[in-house]
Amino acid sequence: MLGEDIRMALASMAGNRLRTFLSLLGIMIGVASVVAILNLGRSVTESISESFEIGGLDTVNVMPRGQARETMIFTEEFAYDLMEEIEGIREVLPTVSSMANVRKGQEISEGVQVQGVTSGYFPSNALELDEGAFFGPIDNINRRQVCVIGKELAEELFPAGDALGSYVSVFRNQAKSFLVIGILAERDESLGASYNSTLFMPYNTYVQRFRRTDQVGTYVVKVAEGYDATAVADDIEGYLDEIAGSDYYRLFSPATVKEMSDSVMSTFSMFLAAIAAISLVVGGIGIMNIMLVSVVERTGEIGIRKALGASPKAIRMQFLVESVTLSLSGGLIGLAAGTALSFAAVSLAGWSLHISLGAIAVSLLFSLFIGVFFGWYPAAKAARLQPMEALSRD
Amino acid sequence: MSSAIRLEDVSRLYFVGDTVVRALDGITLSIEEGSFTAIVGPSGSGKSTLMSLIGCLDLPTSGRILIAGEDTSGMDEDELALLRNRHIGFVFQHFSLLPRMSALDNAALPLLYAGIPLRERRKRAAGMLERVGLGDRMDHRPSELSGGQKQRVAIARALINDPAIILADEPTGALDSATGHEVMDIFHGLNREGHTIVFVTHDNALASECSRMVRLSDGRVADAG
Repeated sequence: MLGEDIRMALASMAGNRLRTFLSLLGIMIGVASVVAILNLGRSVTESISESFEIGGLDTVNVMPRGQARETMIFTEEFAYDLMEEIEGIREVLPTVSSMANVRKGQEISEGVQVQGVTSGYFPSNALELDEGAFFGPIDNINRRQVCVIGKELAEELFPAGDALGSYVSVFRNQAKSFLVIGILAERDESLGASYNSTLFMPYNTYVQRFRRTDQVGTYVVKVAEGYDATAVADDIEGYLDEIAGSDYYRLFSPATVKEMSDSVMSTFSMFLAAIAAISLVVGGIGIMNIMLVSVVERTGEIGIRKALGASPKAIRMQFLVESVTLSLSGGLIGLAAGTALSFAAVSLAGWSLHISLGAIAVSLLFSLFIGVFFGWYPAAKAARLQPMEALSRD
Repeated sequence: MSSAIRLEDVSRLYFVGDTVVRALDGITLSIEEGSFTAIVGPSGSGKSTLMSLIGCLDLPTSGRILIAGEDTSGMDEDELALLRNRHIGFVFQHFSLLPRMSALDNAALPLLYAGIPLRERRKRAAGMLERVGLGDRMDHRPSELSGGQKQRVAIARALINDPAIILADEPTGALDSATGHEVMDIFHGLNREGHTIVFVTHDNALASECSRMVRLSDGRVADAG
């Protein structure tokens, strides 16, 4: 019976294609915009997430500032304190950094980010080599004057491409000479840093050559597997507020920022989708309108069917199925159009498309609901027709 | 012989504004099983109203109607639909076929409401169309058929559920006389097979072919035949 009702509905839709199309337009546009907005929202969120992941979602950066430099809390040993006090930390990598000019022969690169890091820093930040090698713990202990430089910096200082094994001079108060032992592979810009024009040297080398105090620049805290980075960041904040006060450090955690941005994005796209959903109601009214016209036009048909033994229930079902078939077809076309639209928009923006399964489910369920809701009254009207009246109006 | 249809003091009033129109006024009538009854009378005499009451398409204002011994007065719409589906086959003056369906699907339509599966419906409808001589027109739509062919599709549809009673409302009214006679021949054949046939017409010549003629006048039975 249901199969027959669907067959009849499709035949009736095919019987008047232009009218069917026009009556479906509302629901098509409504579903298309809801789907497009939710897909776009998800694609944007995913693409932001990807850049966060390069930046290190398992990383919390703690940067001492201001008066803290005098409090002498933030020493290299403090890294061990942090690991003791806070649960869920895999390692704490102390780093120091500053800007310096770097020179090779006639080539000078000004304002280069110079960082002193321990060897664990490279794998922790997913840095990869283009050529050469990273420095290791021994280089750190021996305070060797070696460095690993970013791809852009290497090309700037060594246009001929012979950076590996050469020496560069780093100016900070006085010039020091460093052997280039590794060149980093080029990396896309991200919310972390690209490191394409950074110069890395062993942490101890930096402290000995360029600093008077053993003050740490930034603690790069790596969160242990199975722990939530935002929770660990909160714990660290609590601990630091207690021992140093909130004015004396800055904390940056990509995971926390991502959480905020995800929540803003999803609220925003839900809001837009809700506005778009209003057009679905308009679409539903379009369907109700066409169904009412259809019931009037087919009064004779209803009379014949009743004379042949169709119960009111059978007639109501026939018209309900027709309205649901209408609205679901509109929903499916809208779904396809919305997906195509979001694909086009995402391609233009250079992101990758992430289909929101929620959008598909919501739009189809909504179409179904609209078909039943707005089809109910016309179907009930058809079911109530008296057979004799219906026949004589033919 | 028992009554296929029995009307007991049946009236049907229509209220038009303040005036009351007595379309049928206290009719008592029995139609026997296996009979071929013509109902005649001038227009406005209540023929069509009587037909729709017998066909359970309309309900009397007062009185009782029994179809195959069952009292219809207490029935709800579902029961009436079932009764029409199982016991009554309709043939209308203007064929009343559904335009978007093939002859086959039109003839099979009552089986849909009897809950018969599609394959079986089509098989039985095909057999019935063969019987009325339309075996080669099954996939044609009504618009592609002549008047006589359309009426034969309608007859096939009326017969498909093997109803005891066939109600024909001016079935030859829209046909030329030669085609009209062919259709009448089909009805005579069905009557010989045992179907009870009630036939409304204003054509006295056709009515005289029937085994009984009931004449209506002003909503009353003027001559019960």
